[in-house]
Amino acid sequence: MENMSGCDLDRLFNPRTLAFIGASASTSKWGFIILFNILKGNYKGRLYPVNPRTKAILGVPCYPSVGDISEDVDLAIITTPAKAVPGLIDECGAKRIPYVIVVSADFSETGPEGARLEHEVTAKARAHGIRIVGPNTMGVFSSQPHLHALMPPIMPLHGQVSMFSQSGNLGAQMLMWGFDEGVGFEKFVGIGNEADLTSIDFLDYFARDERTRIILAYLEGILPNSGLATLARKVSRQKPILVFKGGRTDVGTKAAASHSGAMAGSTRVHRAAFHQAGIIEVPTSQGMMDCAKAFANYPVPRGNRVGILTRGGGWGVITADACVESGLEVPPLPDEIERKISRILPPYWSHGNPVDMVAMGGDGPFMACLETLAAWDGIDAILALGGSGSRAFQYSQEIKGPRELKFVLAQEELIAEKFSNAPESTSVMTRQLVEQTGKPIIAVSLGSAESHKAALKDYHMVSYPTPERAVRVLQLMASYRRFIESPE
Amino acid sequence: MTIIEEAKKRGAKTLSEHESKLFLSEFGVPCTQEKTATTEDAAVAAANEIGYPVVMKGSGEALAHKTELDLIALNLRDEKEVREAFKKLTGTKQAEVKEVLVQQMVKGDRELVVGLTRDAQFGPCVMFGLGGIFTEVLEDVAFRVAPLTRWDAMDMMDDIRAKKILAEFRGQPAVDREVLADILMAIGEIGMKFDDVAEIDINPLKIMNGKPVAVDALVVLGNGSK
Repeated sequence: MENMSGCDLDRLFNPRTLAFIGASASTSKWGFIILFNILKGNYKGRLYPVNPRTKAILGVPCYPSVGDISEDVDLAIITTPAKAVPGLIDECGAKRIPYVIVVSADFSETGPEGARLEHEVTAKARAHGIRIVGPNTMGVFSSQPHLHALMPPIMPLHGQVSMFSQSGNLGAQMLMWGFDEGVGFEKFVGIGNEADLTSIDFLDYFARDERTRIILAYLEGILPNSGLATLARKVSRQKPILVFKGGRTDVGTKAAASHSGAMAGSTRVHRAAFHQAGIIEVPTSQGMMDCAKAFANYPVPRGNRVGILTRGGGWGVITADACVESGLEVPPLPDEIERKISRILPPYWSHGNPVDMVAMGGDGPFMACLETLAAWDGIDAILALGGSGSRAFQYSQEIKGPRELKFVLAQEELIAEKFSNAPESTSVMTRQLVEQTGKPIIAVSLGSAESHKAALKDYHMVSYPTPERAVRVLQLMASYRRFIESPE
Repeated sequence: MTIIEEAKKRGAKTLSEHESKLFLSEFGVPCTQEKTATTEDAAVAAANEIGYPVVMKGSGEALAHKTELDLIALNLRDEKEVREAFKKLTGTKQAEVKEVLVQQMVKGDRELVVGLTRDAQFGPCVMFGLGGIFTEVLEDVAFRVAPLTRWDAMDMMDDIRAKKILAEFRGQPAVDREVLADILMAIGEIGMKFDDVAEIDINPLKIMNGKPVAVDALVVLGNGSK
């Protein structure tokens, strides 16, 4: 498996013309589903479905073979059965197509016969100078040309996060969660069996891609001596690399003569390698999108000191506990800051960090406290509990009753107004504070999933439903900062 | 011929404790003062030279885990105790002991472990952590992939749960972290340079007046593949 670093994958991600080989009119086939998604996604380039047995699919005229397409083709996608692929590679070679995505499965992942077929595919590709993505991949997304060559029906939001994934279904899940959480993607690629282009190629490409600011990866296997860690160590200095690793548990025990050998499980060692490379290893699947959101929108904190602002005491305690448990510091409030906040809050507030607003409602005092904390140079980040989602306290107005009740309900509207927040203005102000002070201000939303989603309507707001998720993100950001400050 | 070449020539799978320490000393790893002896008189001479109290161990390449085989005599305070220990160790039926190692006795509560292993994906890795007989029970260790920078070495010292053990402890001074970093980096270098070295264990690395000293060491030889 040749490893060409520095390869230019621009035409793969920005094809002007796309040949879709294996286009199908049968709605259960991938050859239909992916084609459908490409069309639905409003692909900006020119699309040529290839199928010798049909005149048109979904209103788009089909071509019997790639050779029948009159203009040059930048990218071909193949969804035919595996056995047909080698012959199709030859046809793509004759047509001088530089990139081919082999979506088809049943190659090396199924056994020796599949491996032999895969080998044949790569040998032909090499002979023709074609670069292959896959085989056995769920496809590719690229924001600029609006290319949604994906099996799952996801239309990701656009942003600056690029991801490569060794697993199709995990990648799909990340894209879906990303959509829910307001994470915008620039590029996504399922790298499949990595018969030709590997994780190293994509890491290198995303590192050089000006439109990518954050790199995400799902990895299970890392090839020995692949140079992934060495490359990552360089790349991490410029862009954060978030990795979720599968295959962490050690299968079988090692027979070793020494303690060192006996205890060096593959997990401990890969964690060490990632740590030294500055790779941010997220501990859970959910953590991947949580971190992507924060890293994409906020600066990294300058240290690990946290100020906590909370609408109510209990949540503040839980958050402070979580901070200390993950190695973050919750410093005591200096007199100057205490005095300033005492002018905002009732006298029975907590007089400390966490700053407990003792259920004082409204956004004005909340933002005033936030501003005061943001100006405190003894902290590097803020967790704002209840910084979003206070619409949770709106009353529902479904009861219809006698006149007296109607009068009571009319009062309810006034009460609801007092509780309702204007998420647009708080998120704008929060954003401004972050930009001015360089401190990430991470909100934890009150209430239900509904209110959390409301907070994400403005998807530049970095907000989580629980303090634990917020703390974990902050801890990973702080540890990334430690890495970038370490000597090269 | 070097220590490793000689050991390979006689088909040994590991270096003896003494050979291991001689090898590691070449890279600046501080080791206990010690001498081998095949006779009772030689053992006494060695003890006199090193200074009492001494430790005596059954020596020889096959004896990789001496505490389990009861081949260590601690705290020998004079010639009489040295002679008794020599007789006991060489006369044991547990194993064939033709030679003993007479060693300076290092007192101290803190025991660390430093090691080298080779990972199939990432190559030579240095291990550091809490040592002694509970090493594999507590598993309080950290790894770093070689080559190690000084920053890596310092960072890994804080990466164990028991990191407070490196601070001042029960009236004893704090561990000299610079010296410890030198040791960790040296082990990494050995891993990078010597394909013949498959694994290394320094356990325990004891602390004497804040200075780390290798009290027991094992170098496992490999077949030369990285």
